[in-house]
Amino acid sequence: MLHSRFSEPLPLAASLLVGAALFGAPTLAQSGMNTTNLQSEVVLDGLDNPWDMAFLDDGTMLFTEKCSGLSVRMPDGTVNKLYGVGAKEGYPANGEDLFCEGQAGMMGVAFDPGFADNRRIYVYSTSNMSDPHTNRLMRFTVNEDFTAVADRTDIIDDVPYKMAASNHPFGGPGAHNGGRVRFGPDGALWLTTGDTHNGQVPQSPTMMGSKVIRVDTDGAAHPENAPPEGFDKRTYTFGHRNIQGIAFHPDTGAAITAEHGPWHSDEITILKNGGNAGWDPRPNMAGREDCPDDYCGYSPNQEGGMNRYERAAFMPMTDFDTYPDAMPPVWNNNGWSQGTSSAAFLQGDAWGDWNGAMVVGIMGIGFGGTPIGQRIDVIHFNEDVTDVEDVTEMTLPMETGRFRSVVMGPDGSLYTSIDEGTIYKLTPGN
Amino acid sequence: MFNYGPLAVVALLGAAGASSALASDTPTTDTAETEATRQIDLEVAEKIFRKSCRACHGNKAQGAASYPSLSDKDPAYITERLERYRAGEKIGPNSILMIQHAKKLSDDDIASLSVYVTTAFE
Repeated sequence: MLHSRFSEPLPLAASLLVGAALFGAPTLAQSGMNTTNLQSEVVLDGLDNPWDMAFLDDGTMLFTEKCSGLSVRMPDGTVNKLYGVGAKEGYPANGEDLFCEGQAGMMGVAFDPGFADNRRIYVYSTSNMSDPHTNRLMRFTVNEDFTAVADRTDIIDDVPYKMAASNHPFGGPGAHNGGRVRFGPDGALWLTTGDTHNGQVPQSPTMMGSKVIRVDTDGAAHPENAPPEGFDKRTYTFGHRNIQGIAFHPDTGAAITAEHGPWHSDEITILKNGGNAGWDPRPNMAGREDCPDDYCGYSPNQEGGMNRYERAAFMPMTDFDTYPDAMPPVWNNNGWSQGTSSAAFLQGDAWGDWNGAMVVGIMGIGFGGTPIGQRIDVIHFNEDVTDVEDVTEMTLPMETGRFRSVVMGPDGSLYTSIDEGTIYKLTPGN
Repeated sequence: MFNYGPLAVVALLGAAGASSALASDTPTTDTAETEATRQIDLEVAEKIFRKSCRACHGNKAQGAASYPSLSDKDPAYITERLERYRAGEKIGPNSILMIQHAKKLSDDDIASLSVYVTTAFE
């Protein structure tokens, strides 16, 4: 199935006709390599909501399980548990303050680029050490045989957490934490965060939700961050909703996010230092009135399905009317929100025409007429990396799932985790 | 199509229902007769599951993300929850999603789904 690069709002009848034609049509020819020769292999199964992975060159793989903790899979396949969530049994050490609730728990993980020398890793998790609770980016060191972590240092301790349920879809505590942790080609540490169903967070200069944060390995602001005056200097971009995907273009180094939309308009955005992504779900803004529990993110009609373009007109993912200089998305998933999560760039000649393309994992959600859409999309940028040129859906050699994470492995394979508990390896070729 | 006879339906729905909220009310003869006439169609249930349940609750109904496991529940529990969601009752943070899906279900659909999600992935 081919997706158009970007869809402008259409009148209701027209959009319904277009939607029917798109989704009623047979699979179209795919651009580039024939993806049917992808091979899949189960790397780990029976996991507890695997959220993220990180690799060393020898294949050593850190992975997180949202409600269980951090583990490492060694190149010989041995798995060592390292750091448990709360009182989770079976771990040599636990973060007693760590917990999971709803969408929150242990999320992103990264190796330090200098790991061979400093043995440092970074893990993002929800913690009750503060009240109200927060999400924290923790730094650890790993021992020589990868059986234990030590020296926990919380280098970021103030990412907001949703403490109480609210009157919204998915309205339980713990909503919208972002959660991806990556090192950029600049050597800086990047963290994506979410709006916690709080209308005030996205445009707040000081609350660190709804931000892309760029810091050093001590948590200090990158000196070249350029947020507006009055903003926390750790801010690279702001005004996001709930970013779970960030990757860096292999040629330009540009930070590119994949973001989960509010029942419409998942977005891919090429970030601009200091930029505003234009999400502002406050009530009594942009023509809106009061909204349930002071958050308009699912309005109007948060209890039923409706045309996605009408939703987008009322509560835009990127509000250009209010913020004319907002960073424009280069892809909006044809106006759908289907649970867009992680992002990575394919690397290696074995990927053929896809070498250098970005892949995005989509978890899927079927509500109010939205096609479920569980898949991995291959995003082709133009030569200048200013826009999306084409989007191809991977033909997967295994059953689909909730694709939470996509990560390139050092062996040239793409690794993907699904919430159902499996980490797969996808390898091009026969 | 798998059409369970009335005895099978009663047995499946009631097998573990003694401790459920639904089963705490002693069923009347009319209710029992209504349950006994429900048609269990696992093919229909599988289609509904794949279209409406699988994306959130997981490919084996094992639960995923913030969505609970279904496969470890009793058929009577699933039936009770679906009937309450179908009636528009809010139970938990994802009720808005569940109400939208459940309101389309017939009694037979609910009976079939309740059996399917609790037995198909054993």
